[in-house]
Amino acid sequence: MTYQEFKEAVVDAASRMKIKNYELYYTEGEGINAETFQEEIKSYSAQSDLGACFRCIVEGKEGYASTENLTGDEARLLVERAMENARSIESEEKAYIHEKGDAYAVREQSGQETVQGAELVEAALELQREIYECDPRVTDGTQSYMSSGRQKYAICNSNGLELEEEISYTVCYAMPLVSEGGEMYDGFKVKQGRLKDFDLKDIAAKAVEKAVSTIGAGSVPSGKYTVVLGNEAMATLLQTYSSVFSGEAVQKGMSLLKDKEGEKIAADIITIVDDPLYKDSVAQRTFDGEGVATYRKNVVDQGILTTLLHNLKTAAAAGVKSTGNGQKDSYNSAVGVRPFTFYIQPVEGTTEAMLALAGDGIYITGLEGLHAGANPITGDFSLSAVGFRIEDGRKAAPVKNITVSGNFFTLLKEIEKAGADLEFVGGVVHRCGSPSVLVKNVAIAGK
Amino acid sequence: MLSQELLKEALGKALSTGADYAEVFAEHTQSKNIGIVSEKVDKAANAVISGVGIRIFKGTRCVSGSASSLSREAVLDCAARVADAMSGSAGIADIKLQERLFGDIHPVKIVPGSVGNTYKIDYLRQACTAAKEYDAQISQVIGKYLEVDHKILIATSEGLLAQDRQIRTRLMISSIASKGGENQTGGYNPGARKGVELFEDFDPVELGRRASRQAVTMLNAGYIDAGTMPVAIENGFGGVIFHEACGHSLEASCVALGQSQFAGKLGQQIANPKVTAIDDGTIPNGWGSINIDDEGTPSQKNVLIENGILKTYMIDKLNGRRMGMASTGSSRRQSYQFEPTSRMTNTYIAAGEDRDEDIIGSIEYGLYAKEMGGGSVNPVTGQFNFSVMEGYIIRNGKVCEPVRGASLIGKGSDIIMNIDMVGKNVARGQGMCGASSGSIPTDVGQPLIRVSSITVGGR
Repeated sequence: MTYQEFKEAVVDAASRMKIKNYELYYTEGEGINAETFQEEIKSYSAQSDLGACFRCIVEGKEGYASTENLTGDEARLLVERAMENARSIESEEKAYIHEKGDAYAVREQSGQETVQGAELVEAALELQREIYECDPRVTDGTQSYMSSGRQKYAICNSNGLELEEEISYTVCYAMPLVSEGGEMYDGFKVKQGRLKDFDLKDIAAKAVEKAVSTIGAGSVPSGKYTVVLGNEAMATLLQTYSSVFSGEAVQKGMSLLKDKEGEKIAADIITIVDDPLYKDSVAQRTFDGEGVATYRKNVVDQGILTTLLHNLKTAAAAGVKSTGNGQKDSYNSAVGVRPFTFYIQPVEGTTEAMLALAGDGIYITGLEGLHAGANPITGDFSLSAVGFRIEDGRKAAPVKNITVSGNFFTLLKEIEKAGADLEFVGGVVHRCGSPSVLVKNVAIAGK
Repeated sequence: MLSQELLKEALGKALSTGADYAEVFAEHTQSKNIGIVSEKVDKAANAVISGVGIRIFKGTRCVSGSASSLSREAVLDCAARVADAMSGSAGIADIKLQERLFGDIHPVKIVPGSVGNTYKIDYLRQACTAAKEYDAQISQVIGKYLEVDHKILIATSEGLLAQDRQIRTRLMISSIASKGGENQTGGYNPGARKGVELFEDFDPVELGRRASRQAVTMLNAGYIDAGTMPVAIENGFGGVIFHEACGHSLEASCVALGQSQFAGKLGQQIANPKVTAIDDGTIPNGWGSINIDDEGTPSQKNVLIENGILKTYMIDKLNGRRMGMASTGSSRRQSYQFEPTSRMTNTYIAAGEDRDEDIIGSIEYGLYAKEMGGGSVNPVTGQFNFSVMEGYIIRNGKVCEPVRGASLIGKGSDIIMNIDMVGKNVARGQGMCGASSGSIPTDVGQPLIRVSSITVGGR
């Protein structure tokens, strides 16, 4: 059956089971992908997906069930399963179904991305050609990948709230492989947006530059160094630790930011923004996973933690209003708390200017192993890193096989300078950004 | 899930533009998760995933599609969309499907869906309470219960029709210890291809205490000094070192494209002669075990490295075409939405002959990594990293004080040469492995091993 028919079947089942407070969250999407190898398309795929999640509140307790199988029988089972789950809940946190009446922002960028398969294939092949043309050392194993799609989000609930919005995007990945002296080196560059805005030559050049610049990299002696954390590396770190700003994590004792609102948690130059409507985002969102209106906010303002991020439940527990950050990782996950476009505000100076300020030290351009080597509960990190030496204020020999260790909360306070070279990492909807930052006395393990 | 008539029609449609192979993968999965926080049930959710993924090959070129529905209309539409992306005329006329039956080598005693929430909650609560009561420094305990009942069907233009039902259950206990504005964590996450009879394998009190013991130990530990040193890595989840340093680089998905440090090295010495490494999806009820892979090929025990010599890669059908080699039953996908590719199942370093006390005793100054966290690798460069959840300094052949914040990094091809002592007692640990075909359950394993030299990150 169609979503509309399924929705009616769910509403009917809920009313027969005398459930008064509920929400049906629904997503559907389509996507096409093209992947190249050598001068050809290696694989092409076209997906469509949909899923519905029912959330109900029974005697003050909240239960969830979700499905991809839109049939009349399944609508009834969905409601029954959610009810059984609600009855199992013991937590005393109050759950909420959002009321109507929010003022929702109007998206500036409402253009639709409608890329056809043939266009996408042609763009992937062109990117692949551009990569090979960048450098004679580019070798087979190099891949270009293009993906384009749309995703629709819809919410309806027992308070009469009905919302719907769609995003569409194209993402391109350049993954060159360079061979020199029997060793292989790889680079990577990803870009999201509209296909017509992509400068494929530039994307290819940047990815190849990353691979080539690592040729001949070596380790450094272990010790404490002045470090410039490059914009992408710092953005990756911020992404890994973004959960510490969640009201849910704080209330569950999983973030050290408990009772820190109004206190200084970072250097004066640090302002961290969450902007669901960020100007160049192709995934601007006007409502969150519970239907609350989203808005731009400074989470950290000149070093001071001004607010945590909240959904309806965590906001009520904290005695504040939801910040419109109630989000689901996927339609079938529970409502958690997450930022949208989350970034450290750029300050001043180019990447080169940051290196000049450092004088001597290490410029870290990439971090790996964040899912295991960085712990949001403790703030501790010990991560594999790559980059360059900084000598006389300039980028020098490439460095690999080192680790950088520290604690995120300490690092935020110890940032001495931040550049203006803001760059983003991450997915289409959730992404994090940062300029390059300068920090002293950072522990590096190497030779 | 789908009738033979519909499968034949879909395969025929998928082949109509000249593909030489077509495959329909259908899935119906029911899952449940329950969470306990602060000793109270705080989340309970069910999910149903249901859909179809269709692939066609022409030589080494692949076109695929997927749809979130098992209706006749959706399956045929998906087949048509896939066919549309190729141009040519049908080469295969008649498809005869014959269902192949495989004995279930992973029998399940109690199907999780047949048991209500209460039983599961009671068990989980005992573990959480024991974890909380372990020590006054334990500030929070998070308990999770997960169950998955994953039914799959695969039909191909070669006439294969195969089905499997993969039931998995997992318990996850995470403890947080706090003092003076500092947190440290500990965890234990056992799982198996079993139903709720998994509960019989573990005393919940022991399970909870194990997680908390680690958190408290680490809270009262100092930081390790960075440097290069010998490391003894304990059995069980310690096997993540092989998984990252070598396993991923032996997957055909990167070998076939020349993206692996071990491409073209079959028959060559790539590891220390002490190392024999195996990927085996047939271990009864193992977390990473399968009866058939997601292309319908029966799982098998693959000896990847024998006494240091590279014997085989882990291969799926598509990359097998590029490599001119047969599938090793290693093709896996998270769900119908992902294209399958070669992945690991239960991967481990086989037992050696060294005694544990000799391994520890041989290290003058180094690290004993008792419990490992996860890691990652770049298969192209072989650069890998993984984190130590619970480590201790070894001094003069004796395990001394605990240390926190250690991570191990290196180049896979160097490190597997440096595994120069291998103990006798193999144990396995459970993890979720993420790669292009999604997140799948895998076991890692090994006995206690010594790595003669590796870079240890610290402060």
